Amino acid sequence: MTEVESAALAPDTGVQDWMGLAREASQAFFTGPPAEDRQELLIVELESGEYAIPVERIREIVRLGAITRVPRTPDWLVGVVALRGEIVQVVDLRSRLGLPKIEATRAHRIVVIHGDDEGVAGLLVDAVKGVLRVRERELQPTQGQEFRAVSQLAPKGEGFVSVLDLDRVMERSDG
Amino acid sequence: MAAPRNRKPGRKAGAGTSDARATPSKDGREVVAEAEEILEQMCSDLCLLHEQRHAGDEVEPDLVNRLFRSAHTLKGIAGLSGLEIVSRLAHRLEDVLDGLRLGRIGTRAPVVGLLDEGVASLLALISGLGRDAAPDEAATAQAEQLLAELARALAAPASPDEEGLEASGIDPALLRALTEYEEHRLRESLRRGRPIVLIDATFELARFEEGLAEISAALRESGEIISTLPSAAASAERKICFTLLVATDLAPELLARRVDLAESTLRVVHPGRAASAAAEPAPREARRIESLRSISGSVRVDVRKLDRLMNLVGELVGQRNALGAIATRLSADARTAGLGADLAKLQKGLDRKLRDLQAGVLDVRMVPLRQVFEKLSRVVRRLRIDLGKDVELEFVGGDTELDKLIVEQLVDPLVHVVRNAFDHALEPPDERVAAGKPATGRIRIAAFQRGNHVVIEVVDDGRGMNAPAIRRGAIARGLISEQEVLSEREVLNLIFEAGLSTREEVSQTSGRGVGMDVVRSNLAALGGLVEVASRPGLGTTITITLPITLAIIQALIVRVGRERYALPIASVRETLRASEHPIFRSEDRELFNLRGAPLLLRSLADELGIEGDDDRASAFVVVLGMGEQRLGLLVDGLVGQQDIVIKPIKGPIRSIRGIAGATELADRVATLVIDVSALVVEGTRRREAA
Repeated sequence: MTEVESAALAPDTGVQDWMGLAREASQAFFTGPPAEDRQELLIVELESGEYAIPVERIREIVRLGAITRVPRTPDWLVGVVALRGEIVQVVDLRSRLGLPKIEATRAHRIVVIHGDDEGVAGLLVDAVKGVLRVRERELQPTQGQEFRAVSQLAPKGEGFVSVLDLDRVMERSDG
Repeated sequence: MAAPRNRKPGRKAGAGTSDARATPSKDGREVVAEAEEILEQMCSDLCLLHEQRHAGDEVEPDLVNRLFRSAHTLKGIAGLSGLEIVSRLAHRLEDVLDGLRLGRIGTRAPVVGLLDEGVASLLALISGLGRDAAPDEAATAQAEQLLAELARALAAPASPDEEGLEASGIDPALLRALTEYEEHRLRESLRRGRPIVLIDATFELARFEEGLAEISAALRESGEIISTLPSAAASAERKICFTLLVATDLAPELLARRVDLAESTLRVVHPGRAASAAAEPAPREARRIESLRSISGSVRVDVRKLDRLMNLVGELVGQRNALGAIATRLSADARTAGLGADLAKLQKGLDRKLRDLQAGVLDVRMVPLRQVFEKLSRVVRRLRIDLGKDVELEFVGGDTELDKLIVEQLVDPLVHVVRNAFDHALEPPDERVAAGKPATGRIRIAAFQRGNHVVIEVVDDGRGMNAPAIRRGAIARGLISEQEVLSEREVLNLIFEAGLSTREEVSQTSGRGVGMDVVRSNLAALGGLVEVASRPGLGTTITITLPITLAIIQALIVRVGRERYALPIASVRETLRASEHPIFRSEDRELFNLRGAPLLLRSLADELGIEGDDDRASAFVVVLGMGEQRLGLLVDGLVGQQDIVIKPIKGPIRSIRGIAGATELADRVATLVIDVSALVVEGTRRREAA
């Protein structure tokens, strides 16, 4: 289980983080590809690989604060955090992707995403890298290959980043 | 309540009668809520109607009128929303009620029994709408069948066993002026032997409305105004005269004294039978006052709005707690002690107001259990017909209040329990008589408050449960081993385990083997507990214990290792130091000597599978109680008592075993709330099969 700092979540640090990214995104608005074809992805780092989360599914990004462990739940559930009165489960994205566990660092973040209906969940990532803008048609499907929770590949520089299939990440199960 | 209300204009009026499956317009949810409210009112009115029919009393005309208006209003709403089947059925009910109102249908006619089914069918149609837009097919088919039945019943020749009014000695000219309804009321009153009087009242033309209203109100207190007619009698200039035809519950002389008849004259047209002179007025009055209050004083509120309000109050409570923590910190430092004291004072004031606000919001969410009882009596009326079996049903404590959310979730499990009692527990009449019991079985449903819990008991005087048979069933299904030693109570409570049925036979009413385990898990989800006690041949008692509210609760925060957990105070009986009382072992269990009574001991760390301090010298025992069950819970430390708001845990895992929810404490850290009922049940029942 992840070792966590005992300090409480600072209420606004996550929001500032997110504002910076939003500013960056809006500056690109005038130079990027036309709107109907544009897809914005948040790039996060996990085990020195880069993964992408569609921006429209993201609610906020918060620093890793005190996580409360929940007994008798699967390994991939790090625990729960309180976000302004709401109690949200935090999923260990490493474990969902079959990557080894590591100790939490200062760079760790929780990306809070909207699930289906009123659902919400936090995803624990090693670090947040920035926003990537791609054209919808540049996304490559991963058909024919076995991935746990990756549905598409987005071109970035010489290589690709993996676009996460959030519905698979959030797949419900009763523990 | 069901009096015609102002309706919002602009509800989509298209579609009219065309399509039974038309989706309700955008405000469909509102339509559903309104229809439900009307139907609930109709249910409770029908209950009263049946009571009065049963007791052989005269059925109160106001009651029938109210039912008639409800059906009429419902028909209108359904028509406007294009819910054709609902509209047609409501229309039929309206016909029946109109017939009843006008005396064309006697109160004992079989068609009156169909009213219940009509309302039940309408409820089924409407509740189907709540989930997806179209009424579901089963409900529609059932409604069609009922419509046909109603049509047949209404077509049967009516038997207006009513004699002519000519013999009554009332002026034929006056009789001719009466409407059909008024004629019926007059006949009914004559039949009841009430004195009939005519009052000629004269008023100033300019103020006659007030005067008429005044005298009418006075007369209604002790009788019924059958008709108010403008009088042909010659009247002075600027004056107007009315003739009121009144059936009174008082002797005419008494009535004359009761009502101020300054400018009026009273003529007795029919003396009535003097027997029941002044017995009745009091209860009538009381009932009237009650119904008036509900018309003027109630507001319909969406439960979700209340939830939002409750959440806000909850967050304020959290912030108040945080404020207290800051005040304490400031007070600890000599330099800021003054500021800390000021803040602490302010926080105390805020605390008081917040408590009032909390109590106020909680109070709004509370509803009396009577609503549930009415649903139960409807179910039982239906069962009476289906099973061809009678039962005496008694309700006690309908005023007991519970959180609206709990009441809603309570209906299904309670219906199941009552059905079980009716279907399985009560023997057929011949068997009962043979056993020396009254032929008709009894089911008593009693609710009362006990501390922060509400207890609901369902008691029957049926055949009782057969503990050896239950034990055999449990062994056959592998729930317990053959060698296992269980007390009789433990055996009986095995009926709440999945897959165990108390009776061999299968019936439509309560299926086989499923049910009681669902009842238990449904109630556990509400933080409640269900238990059974039974004596062979004498009957069975099912006891349900529920918390009064789920919203804001007092909690005891405890520590296990590095983690903190919240335990609802309502379930905590006391806390003790573990070192102060001897602990002894029996088999694989630990017991605790609580002032001479043995108490089963469990460690919270073991229950949750986490690491604790494992130091008995400094540990505490929290004595938990739910219903009749007790359990001692070992924890590493007591942190304190706090008001908390239990929140759902959002995320991919839907339900977490043993955890009722979570809350945010003053330091903004999420803290899990322990599901005490699950713990108690597991703690006392779990045993390894040898």
